[in-house]
Amino acid sequence: MTLATDPRFDPRKKRARVAMFITAGAIIASSALSGTRLSGWRWAPSVLGLALIIVFTAISMNLGGGLRGRGGMSGLCGRGRAAGDWPEGMMVRQRHSLVMVSRMMPGPAGRRWLAEAESVLCEIAAVRRAAAARSYLLSSPRLAAVMWAQEGLRLVQPGSRRSR
Amino acid sequence: MGLRLTVQVQLVLQALLRDPAREMYGLELSEETGLQPGTAYPILLRLEHEGWVTSRWEDVDPRAEKRPARRYYRLTAGGAAQASAALAGARRPKDAALRRLARGGGVA
Repeated sequence: MTLATDPRFDPRKKRARVAMFITAGAIIASSALSGTRLSGWRWAPSVLGLALIIVFTAISMNLGGGLRGRGGMSGLCGRGRAAGDWPEGMMVRQRHSLVMVSRMMPGPAGRRWLAEAESVLCEIAAVRRAAAARSYLLSSPRLAAVMWAQEGLRLVQPGSRRSR
Repeated sequence: MGLRLTVQVQLVLQALLRDPAREMYGLELSEETGLQPGTAYPILLRLEHEGWVTSRWEDVDPRAEKRPARRYYRLTAGGAAQASAALAGARRPKDAALRRLARGGGVA
């Protein structure tokens, strides 16, 4: 895969994402400034709602390092690997979907899930790859929910074990 | 025990119990069980969370090997005993269920 074939490196799309990000930031800032003139806490829900929208937008976008600095890729096929040096057979779309989905999961758990998925998909027979990638994507919502629940429990019980 | 012994979990445990000392990676387990890798992964994660299974990244240079490192899974000593006991007490998966899993690739 080359830079030219990877949709994330399309300069127009990247500019559009940056413009969207700046616009959303400006909306939040202006809402926050005008909201403070409202009495009580009536401004809070709208600002909170907008903040949530921008957070989810930022997560779903692929802005360089992302919110947690994960970059476009992670795991063993990730950052530091030259663009044309990714394992053969991994489709751009598959990789992109997996990266996006991994961002729904808590940091270390998402990185591990992605690295393992990449590892398996790189080695699996080409005819089985699409179905395998689909299985990772299909199981991801429930898995993400479990991971977040475990993460929550870990935060509540600081002494508990963390799997990586 | 917080682990539900579904047919898929039983298949993974059976594969690991064939040689408890042997380390298996995701693709290997998927091929042995007939489950899709995306189905096997949450099961392995749950088993690891319960302490039945331990895992590690393979220590290789991905460039030299021309493939990413694998994540290897192995039953712990306690896990092997618990898995054997759990499987002995579990209802055997019906052949029809196994056929359906094999046909559908195990996507739950």
